[in-house]
Amino acid sequence: MKANDMTNMRMTDAQTQKREIKIAARDVDVFYGDTHAIKNVSVDIADNMVTAFIGPSGCGKSTFLRCLNRMNDTIDIARIEGRIEIDGEDIYAAAVDPVLLRARVGMVFQKPNPFPKSIYDNVAYGPRIHGLVNNKAELDDVVEQSLRRAAMWDEVKDRLDQPGTGLSGGQQQRLCIARAIATAPEVLLMDEPCSALDPIATAQIEELIDELRSNYSVVIVTHSMQQAARVSQRTAFFHLGTLVEYGETTQIFTNPEDQRTQDYITGRFG
Amino acid sequence: MGPHIVSAFDDDLIAVQAKISEMGGLAEELLSNALDAVETRDAELAQQVVEQDRRLNRLEMELEELATQVIALRQPMAQDLRVLLAAIKTGSTLERIGDLSKNIARRAIYLSKSRPVQLSSSIVRMGQMTLGALTEILDAHTSRDTELAVAIWRRDQEIDEVYNAIFREVVTYMMDDNRTIGLGSQLLFIAKNLERIGDLTTHIAENIYYIEQGEPLSDDRPKGDPIGLDIGI
Repeated sequence: MKANDMTNMRMTDAQTQKREIKIAARDVDVFYGDTHAIKNVSVDIADNMVTAFIGPSGCGKSTFLRCLNRMNDTIDIARIEGRIEIDGEDIYAAAVDPVLLRARVGMVFQKPNPFPKSIYDNVAYGPRIHGLVNNKAELDDVVEQSLRRAAMWDEVKDRLDQPGTGLSGGQQQRLCIARAIATAPEVLLMDEPCSALDPIATAQIEELIDELRSNYSVVIVTHSMQQAARVSQRTAFFHLGTLVEYGETTQIFTNPEDQRTQDYITGRFG
Repeated sequence: MGPHIVSAFDDDLIAVQAKISEMGGLAEELLSNALDAVETRDAELAQQVVEQDRRLNRLEMELEELATQVIALRQPMAQDLRVLLAAIKTGSTLERIGDLSKNIARRAIYLSKSRPVQLSSSIVRMGQMTLGALTEILDAHTSRDTELAVAIWRRDQEIDEVYNAIFREVVTYMMDDNRTIGLGSQLLFIAKNLERIGDLTTHIAENIYYIEQGEPLSDDRPKGDPIGLDIGI
């Protein structure tokens, strides 16, 4: 990486503060049956920025991430209170179709989970079921653009008919990212997208995340503090279901305000 | 702060602190011996200071290597990162204090060969103040005592004032008797070295503050006019 890129990667506080708010969560509580998993969390997530959620296992960071595209709806005993808006619109309003919401708010999971279909069909799946294209030529174009954005077009353009499951782990994860962005989402949620990948594939995904933020608001849950420090502009630290500290990534990792954040990121409690 | 989950990380940080303490102890010894050499006109002791300074340089390199290794292998964050960055800076500051003490010792060798002068005693007094501040700042570093560090940081102004008084005194002396110009110049350089050691001591205070508070100590330290220009001639 050129020295120059390093400085470009970091935005100043003033720059991060003037970004538009994409997601606004207010007083969010989540219950799984009797378990109070998220306690009164309010957070503003900016557009065109990478926001990292960090915290020990069971702190609620993945639960909160899954509230942002209503993935918790699929769990019978989950109950969500409070308000979450995307572009000022309540995503839990009765009129919102969760399936359409998930096309706008894409998600990439911990383990690459391509469909047992060809590379082409994996990417084409979303645009097809949502009727986003009118003909084969348009679909071809969406598949190519999505694979290009996921930085893997050159690797797979000659074997689009081969099964996605035959790719390497890192390629499968980038295929899943291509699949997620094929429906032209506005927000991309990533739940530990690199935990099953080797360091080279991880670096490729991180480079991709940095590029994706020019078009999307990216929210990433990660167990790797170094990864949060490398890819995000803002970091939120969750502990025992509460949002302990939320701020500029550079500040969180050099001079956190809360003792619990300090203890966690310096490896003093688990 | 509690211990790290990985206890070897704590051992590394303890080793860094131990290396700084060792350097601090040696820097104190060099300055103290250099002052004794000035006071007692002891060329042999002064020569020892010159030689001991090499050990301080070696220790600084060891500290730097150790801190670099810990940064590379443990990828420290937040206060741990600040401790290591400050360690490298403090090591380099202590090494500079050693160099200045060595310079004082070299001049002590010169002074031991010339006739005794009354003026040396005010320089020795200034030396005791400087040495006292250094000892206290090293204690503050070990106990991470920000309050003490800031107090010493503020007090450097007093050393600046004594420096100005000595400057005036030595210049007057040289004007009275121009045969003392060579000797007086040596005394002025010794006083200047002590004034610089006082400044470097405030840098260590700034490092302690940075470790604990995560932000730099403000730049408006009360300063005397340590260039000796207000001598009214």
